[in-house]
Amino acid sequence: MSSISDEVAADFKDALQDLKVNSRPEISNLTLIAKENTEHAQAISLVLENHIRTARPEWRLPSLYVLDSIVKNIGTPYTVYLGRGLYKTFMEAYSKVDQPTRKAMEGLLRTWKQPVPESMDNRPVFPPEMTGDIENALNKMRSVQAQMQSQRPVHALPARPAVSAAWRNTPTPPQNGAPFGAPVDPRARQFSGSQLGQYPQQVPTPVQYGQAQQHSQPMDSLDLNELKEEVGRLISSTQQAFAYNLADAGLQQKLNALLALKKVLDTQTLPPQQLEAIRNQIRALAPPLAPTPVSMSAFPPPTPQQPPTPTFQPPASAPPLNLAQMLANFRPGAPSAVPPSPAPAPAPVSATPNLAEMLSRLSTPPQQSNPAVAPFNPPLFSLPAAISTPVPATPVPAPAPAAPPAASAPTNLAQLLASFNQPPAAAPVAPTPPFNPALPPQVQGLSRLLSQPAGATAAPPNPVNPAWLLNALSGLPNTGTPSNATPLSSEPMTRQSSAPTSLLNDIELTTASMKQPRPHLIFRLYDAKPNICTTCGRRFDATPQGKEKKARHMDWHFKMKDPDAAKRGVHRSWYFTEKEWIEYREVDETAPEDSANGPSGAAGRVKKQAKDRYVPVPQDVTLAHAPCPICQENFEPQWSKEANDFVWMDAIKVGGKIYHATCWEEYSKGAGIATPSTPDSVLGKRTAETGTPASGKKLRAY
Amino acid sequence: MISLPGLNLGEQPAEPLNVPTSSATRHQDLAAQTEYRFEVNFQRQLTIKLVNGTAEYFGTELAPATTYTFQGAKGAIFTWHGCKIEIGGEAESEYVAEETQMMPAMNAHFAFEAQRDRAVQTRDAGPRVLVVGPENAGKTSLVKILTSYAVKSGRQPMVINLDPKQGMLSVPGSFTAAAFSSIIDIEEGWGSSPMSGPSPVPVKMPLVYHYGLKDPEEGRVFRPLVTRMALAVTSRLEEDPASKQAGFIIDSPGSMSQGKAGVYENIEHIISEFSVNVVFVIGSERLYSDLSRKYAHRPNEDPTHIIRLDKSGGCVDRSEEYMKALRHAQIRAYFFGHGDAALAPHSQSATFDELNIFKIAEETGRDFSGGHHIDNPYGNASDAEIYERITPSNMVVNKLLAVTTAAATEGHGAIRDASVRGYMYVADADEAKKRVKLLSPQPGQVPASAIVMGSWPEDVPSLVG
Repeated sequence: MSSISDEVAADFKDALQDLKVNSRPEISNLTLIAKENTEHAQAISLVLENHIRTARPEWRLPSLYVLDSIVKNIGTPYTVYLGRGLYKTFMEAYSKVDQPTRKAMEGLLRTWKQPVPESMDNRPVFPPEMTGDIENALNKMRSVQAQMQSQRPVHALPARPAVSAAWRNTPTPPQNGAPFGAPVDPRARQFSGSQLGQYPQQVPTPVQYGQAQQHSQPMDSLDLNELKEEVGRLISSTQQAFAYNLADAGLQQKLNALLALKKVLDTQTLPPQQLEAIRNQIRALAPPLAPTPVSMSAFPPPTPQQPPTPTFQPPASAPPLNLAQMLANFRPGAPSAVPPSPAPAPAPVSATPNLAEMLSRLSTPPQQSNPAVAPFNPPLFSLPAAISTPVPATPVPAPAPAAPPAASAPTNLAQLLASFNQPPAAAPVAPTPPFNPALPPQVQGLSRLLSQPAGATAAPPNPVNPAWLLNALSGLPNTGTPSNATPLSSEPMTRQSSAPTSLLNDIELTTASMKQPRPHLIFRLYDAKPNICTTCGRRFDATPQGKEKKARHMDWHFKMKDPDAAKRGVHRSWYFTEKEWIEYREVDETAPEDSANGPSGAAGRVKKQAKDRYVPVPQDVTLAHAPCPICQENFEPQWSKEANDFVWMDAIKVGGKIYHATCWEEYSKGAGIATPSTPDSVLGKRTAETGTPASGKKLRAY
Repeated sequence: MISLPGLNLGEQPAEPLNVPTSSATRHQDLAAQTEYRFEVNFQRQLTIKLVNGTAEYFGTELAPATTYTFQGAKGAIFTWHGCKIEIGGEAESEYVAEETQMMPAMNAHFAFEAQRDRAVQTRDAGPRVLVVGPENAGKTSLVKILTSYAVKSGRQPMVINLDPKQGMLSVPGSFTAAAFSSIIDIEEGWGSSPMSGPSPVPVKMPLVYHYGLKDPEEGRVFRPLVTRMALAVTSRLEEDPASKQAGFIIDSPGSMSQGKAGVYENIEHIISEFSVNVVFVIGSERLYSDLSRKYAHRPNEDPTHIIRLDKSGGCVDRSEEYMKALRHAQIRAYFFGHGDAALAPHSQSATFDELNIFKIAEETGRDFSGGHHIDNPYGNASDAEIYERITPSNMVVNKLLAVTTAAATEGHGAIRDASVRGYMYVADADEAKKRVKLLSPQPGQVPASAIVMGSWPEDVPSLVG
């Protein structure tokens, strides 16, 4: 280490020692120093690690934030240096600090498993191997701690979607500050505050699942936002799960239901009671989604307040019941009194007060309803008796003609939505509007889309019961969320089948089917393969195999980046002949070399024979014209694919002179001199062979 | 640029317009499912860089933070999720469009994915797709999008170009087939065929036949060549499971969609030769209706689906002038490379006697009744009249010569069916000395095999000197 490095490191150390509280400017300053001195990254990393390990426990968190800030804002080479000792650094600090600090550290760890926010790079801050080790250790610690409390394995802890629920169930209020420390943390914004920041009032009455008593507590707008966020989180995790398991119609249905719900939430003002019911459902849904790849929760071991999964999900009948009761409570006297409807032409409808109408009155400003679903038709409004409102359910006679569409109605979420959304004015009018023609195309698409999977599952008993939506959400098999263990094709020649087909089968090859929007498919083109090559945009799976492929792909890019190529006079090759072309197999640069065309692959691995040795054609003029000193014959340059350069085959460079390898071999055998080995490549070592992603990063930096 | 001995290769004085007029860049936000359409002529450059979000160019995703340079292009940057792009240089026209035809393209892709998945299980053939429609309807764009998506999904689709108006991985006037296992080059059309050095985007290996005429309706070479191409492709697919399961997509010339009184012999020929099972008709109601009537009620196990797609609003009429410039650019790229990847062609001299040039015989007042007499492509009756052996003269200057794999002594049918090794360009002919100057893609002997010269592509006067 140079003396300059020492100096820089000493300065850095001094600055670190002054860092005793979580101070944003100081952290930023330290980050800046690190950024400006990347050439001394090793020294700085060392100092930082030492400091974190040795500082007083209460000063460790701020210095961990420095580490965090450096790796996120600068990245390589710090991630490499700091990554090496990350486990030790982290665990030593973790073992010394108090509970709140541990929480904060867990929060940090969680963010390290994700890409840097707003960065183009999809890779996590630290490679999963590093964070994984730490997680395993934390798990062990936790499971020991939690042994008395719960039998649940730690890895089944709720992931982020359940965060709020977990907090709310904790009898002790959360420790001071968000898990990411004081809000002055420069990166606090990354965590969008949604996880904790927006729970300022720590829930005077903790929510209890599966019980209806929360009606008394109205939701304010803040809670609404929070609910939306929860839904959003749930949607994204469901999407993720869906991407890995496209065959799961249940998941798709759930996803669609969630999207619909989100739309309702975004466009409608629902009364508090409904919101409460929805929220409970969402909460109940969230935890089982946990075992996604990032399943490690940074939360303390499960507390008894968190009941095992089954209790989260009330029996399917419960939500409708609750909701229905709730609705009934909300409109006391509805069955008998038949209050004058605010609608202009209430005559037919108000006689049979139906749920849609009821809901429409509940929704405070009715004009906010989503216009897209507004023109819905009577079948919706016929209210069968299944709902437990005391309303006498006399079906409206008018919708009878519209029977065929009504048949699909039960499974049609769009209708359901409409029943949420129905503006009062629209209800009484439209005695028999045609069903489908009235639908805007998107809604048609949506409804068709929904009706497909829904057909497989049990149709809800009541077409108009909005509780079905919630029911659908809760009733679905939540355990179906697989991890990212996408099955890889075992057959090398068959490219990996991209997904189970069952879901795709519904895309008929017809003109009409082509025009249906299927936005859920976009996911498969992008997010299903999150690992993008920043050079050419090719995407890879987020699996170990995908990583290997990407490493080889990056190697290929590296090899192709030959600055001298242009000088050599590259020319177009002749095309293949028919026969050559028919026998040719495309070379996938991401495949292991063995599977390449021709015999060069497997054979190339065995020890090189003398005549396979080569040296690049020397730049030095005298050397380039010198014959082999042994046989006095000249070398003939030829293009080598392997070296990506013009080379002399059967050549070897010994002591500044180039010999024919065969000549040298004969000579050296006699003389007993060891034959030096040919360099594998003129361009240096290949990362795919060394394997670690970390070194791949370094290469890329070049 | 590499200087060529013997050829006055000026490569045109450095065009002052070639550089972006100003280094200033601007940002453009694109909402989800919208596209930024642009046209940039051959004299200017437009650079586009993805700042955030995701974006794709005819289905190929833009790499983050990579600057792409477009020249002589009419294209669109589409985004599914919304994005921000940084634009440099000047476009002839540019605007953001909200109505795109990407959703049908994606639906089609995933419908094919289902077929491919089935094909993987049954070891059967994947989707076999033909795209037809009038000129400038967006056929090639759709083919490109479907190919890109398939590649993105880890497939290895085959693309077959039967449109002589613009080449795929080769010069115009050629028919090519290539399996795509790597991403399509964004800046350079379809990408590049192999060269002796490295390529920033994986090269594609095309099989090339020379058609040499402008329209499929003229001459008697089209259908036999389609048959030949189908034979080669089928043979390849039989031996290459990855390609077989991914299926293929055929791009077709617009003029084929005119038909004669509701009969589309060339389209039907392609469908039957390639066993096409999906036909996309873009932007022509009549063609759609005619074809679906024909293929609707066939008690076939493997029905032919005829699907109509709307023409994208982004399809612009490309002027003859532009198309000509595009063809010249393709020919130039064949010899000299594209962008940073400059190639060094070889110039050589040959005597008249050394070259065995076969000129495609023009239809001269002969009653060409829909080509029934050539339905047997290997019949010998018409073979003798396909080509006319010529002695080089001033007439061949500025022409593109297709070097075939057939020997000069072989019959016309064999020459026609022979694939192409490459193209040479006649830079000059000296009738007095009986010598021609040729531009060849790479050094070597003057090929002794049969060389085919057609009337298409048109002369390329400014390629060298």
